[in-house]
Amino acid sequence: MIRLRRRPLEIRETRLAWLLMTPTLALLAVMALGPLVATIWESLFSHDLRLPWLGRTFIGLGNYTEAASDARFRQALAHTVGFTVTTVAIELVLGLLLALMLDALVRFRGLARVLVLLPWALPTVVAALIWRLMFADQAAPAAELLDWVVPGSSRVDWLAGPQSAWVPIVLAEVWKTTPFMALLLLAGLQGIDRTLDDAARLDGASALQRFRHITLPLLRPAIVVALIFRTLDALRVFDLVFVLTGGGPGTSTEVVSMYAFTSLLQNLRFGYGSALSVIVFVIGFSLALGYVRMLEPVREAR
Amino acid sequence: MRSSRTRPAALTRPRWFLLTALAVCVLACGPAPEVLTFSGSVLGAEGAIVRRQIERFATLHPGLPVDVRATPDSADARHQLYVQWLNAWSPQPDVLQLDVIWTPEFAAAGWILPLDRFAPDTDDFFPATIAANRWQGRLFAMPWLVDVGMLYWRTDLLSGPPATFDELATSVRSQLSRGTVSQGLVWQGARYEGLVCVFLEYLTAFGGQILDDDGAVDVDSPEAVRALTFMRQSIADGVVPGSVLTWQEEQTRFAFQNGNALFLRNWPYAASLMNEKDAVVRSRFAVASMPSSGGRPAAALGGAQLAINARSRHAASAWRLIEYLTAPAQLIERAHATGQFPARPSLYAADTLADALPVPPDDARRIIDKAIPRPVTPVYTELSGELQIHLHRALTDQERPDQALALAAGQLRAILNRAGLDGARH
Amino acid sequence: MNALIKRVAMTALLVFWALPLCWMVLASLRPESALYATTATATAGFGGNHYRALFAERRFWQPMLNSIVVASSTTLLALVVAVPCAYAMARLQFRGKRALMAVVLAISTFPQVSIVPSLFLILRALGLIDTIPGLVLPYLTFATPLAVWLMAGFFRELPPDLEEAARLDGASRLRAAVEVALPLAAPAVATTAILTFLYAWNEFLFALSFTVSPDRQTVPVAIALLQGRYQVPWGQILAAAVTASVPVAVVVLAFQRRIVKGLTAGAVKG
Repeated sequence: MIRLRRRPLEIRETRLAWLLMTPTLALLAVMALGPLVATIWESLFSHDLRLPWLGRTFIGLGNYTEAASDARFRQALAHTVGFTVTTVAIELVLGLLLALMLDALVRFRGLARVLVLLPWALPTVVAALIWRLMFADQAAPAAELLDWVVPGSSRVDWLAGPQSAWVPIVLAEVWKTTPFMALLLLAGLQGIDRTLDDAARLDGASALQRFRHITLPLLRPAIVVALIFRTLDALRVFDLVFVLTGGGPGTSTEVVSMYAFTSLLQNLRFGYGSALSVIVFVIGFSLALGYVRMLEPVREAR
Repeated sequence: MRSSRTRPAALTRPRWFLLTALAVCVLACGPAPEVLTFSGSVLGAEGAIVRRQIERFATLHPGLPVDVRATPDSADARHQLYVQWLNAWSPQPDVLQLDVIWTPEFAAAGWILPLDRFAPDTDDFFPATIAANRWQGRLFAMPWLVDVGMLYWRTDLLSGPPATFDELATSVRSQLSRGTVSQGLVWQGARYEGLVCVFLEYLTAFGGQILDDDGAVDVDSPEAVRALTFMRQSIADGVVPGSVLTWQEEQTRFAFQNGNALFLRNWPYAASLMNEKDAVVRSRFAVASMPSSGGRPAAALGGAQLAINARSRHAASAWRLIEYLTAPAQLIERAHATGQFPARPSLYAADTLADALPVPPDDARRIIDKAIPRPVTPVYTELSGELQIHLHRALTDQERPDQALALAAGQLRAILNRAGLDGARH
Repeated sequence: MNALIKRVAMTALLVFWALPLCWMVLASLRPESALYATTATATAGFGGNHYRALFAERRFWQPMLNSIVVASSTTLLALVVAVPCAYAMARLQFRGKRALMAVVLAISTFPQVSIVPSLFLILRALGLIDTIPGLVLPYLTFATPLAVWLMAGFFRELPPDLEEAARLDGASRLRAAVEVALPLAAPAVATTAILTFLYAWNEFLFALSFTVSPDRQTVPVAIALLQGRYQVPWGQILAAAVTASVPVAVVVLAFQRRIVKGLTAGAVKG
């Protein structure tokens, strides 16, 4: 391998960089890469813990071809993608609104921020249980609340319909994780130079114009990070759906993580379950790379 | 120059690998733990009584301390932990409390010990419970506590329990029209394991079965279709409220406990709770087995069993603990403390359980005699999962009953075939 | 008009988020039958029974303590480990940067459930099952990617002028980073701290899988253990959730004060 001679400054910089990164990389290498590689390796085998007489045979991509023809998996994937797109879109908009609002608040700023972050702070199981009670037709006090907000809604058995069951799920997810988006965007907003905004206002630009042409572009890096991590989390949603509907009615609200969990820890099909997880990983990772590409143009300019 | 520097390295590297691997193995195996570990339900009254009994056992058998390890009561969470520990070849816990449907699964995986070598006294246990814990002819877990699906009915509104589903429907209609109750029969209809238990009771009542005696799938038989159609029709007719389709045990219990429902299908745990002071139906209910309709009345079998970890280092002591906990004296004591049904029929004969159980022991015994285990196969969870989906779709009008059962049967056959458990030659 | 719309929108947003929380607090103070009652919102039966049961019978203070220790350690260590790494990835030039960032990101893309069995084996080999470090290590591993990306994004947006000015004054690269860039990064550090703390606080799967004894369990596991076979002791669970929100609220209140404008803006114009 031919190496160009590098200037001493570059070498020093590289050495410093690796020094700074070593703790993180060492940690990830030991605790994360190992299990990841083990899971990927496991996905190449047909391994059913319940049936040891079938042995653990190498089948290469056999699990993956099975997944491709598994209608239940394809359905779960469709559900997950739909859920991700919907919730991330809603959360982005609401999160932005929330961030702008929290930024603008002067009085009760701390209190409002804590309040808004509390849903994110609750254990997912509790949040899911709260929303399930609100939509379960028997819990009168919570249903009354719902009726007050949207009249007549408590008479619909939300959790029993294949499409309507998504409403409590999406609402619960939005309620719980928009604060996460809002917090990231809020932090991003702090880095924006107020003087630019003031100058534009003096020039006569309306609030909307200022937002579109100044705030939003400068907020782009924060938005991309928020999108990446929210998308990855939404693709892996599990607890919320598990507690709210268990995947029902039928399998209308089953998401990929639930199917992987079922295959892995209930049906004890370790090979297949690992393959499903790898598929989720590949999809998530590709999406993340796509988002990062969105970040590129801004970086080039700098 | 370079070669002399690298040669020693090349020689020592394999040795380093070996040493590290050895160290890891030693660490992984760990020092032999000199304690017997019991894992199971340790919540509330159950926890108090099991700890008391285990302490007594420890004083009777000094030399090996016993440790109680709490696991979540939620079936999925406990199952997950067991799978994790047993798959990692952990020698602990030594004694495991299992759900009845886990025994064949763990047995097939080689994670629990066959108990025949300890010559257990199987004659004094309910036959259904012994059958549920046998895999390939060997007994893998001792029955401990029994749960059965029971029909709770209002004694203040009815003179006796219905013997057939038609009688049940008639009672429901008349009481609904009189306005004494707002709901008829409530059962667990959410898409989960409970639904399969309810379906099993209806199925047997109509003369059907999930797997036949040879282990072949029989859930698409005409009897089964009739049973499922009947279930669906009950909802359409209003005998069973549509909201059951998202309900699990607790929601149904409250429906009955608050006086809204005329009949409830639930496990025995509900009876103790309904006898508490703020229950509307206190002293106004009794239990019977689910009705039948051409087949025979059945009660889905649940409950707890005790098994020994295959890698336990104290198998003999573990067996002594199991023997102790399943002994009549302990079972009676436990019944008095928690109201849970013992797995020994002889205890129901005498007056020993008179004040212990939340329902009359005779009623309980009669229902347990009709107990039916769910299919005893290592792939039961997977079978149940598929069945649940189609049952729920049929009940929510997404599939016709005959269609749903045909699809389910097809998938069940495929699962059994893939597992090599369908009896066919492989 | 504009102001009115803004006011209404703000209130609507706040109400959407606050209402379920209020309901949660109220429900934790009432007997459980009230949750399933078919009568209207009765005011009868308010009391602290659930809280009493939680602390007297279930000893909830122990999981609270464990969670505080685990979450704080994770947060502190995550900052210590991630901030330098993020700085390196944002500011310094070296080969393979993009690939490394991708790998770091990939770590958090994997569904946790499939990693549990292998992680269990690793932690057991290290003798860390049922210990505090045994939880901090996995949490650290999976919280770091977000921390790194957040901080890296922030450092990238930071104008390099100030640091360069410091270096022209004779400071080393590292010193310039610590004395100039880090203070300016306060909002991002605070955000990272909050998010990491919350992640560690709420994490359930690893906590369930890697702890065994009751005095090592964390809040989410303790809450899950409150559940019986069929029964869900709502009152206690909601009371536990309310109680568990208190340390979180304290942490958020403390850190959010740093998330303010003006630390970077104006600094460049100086």
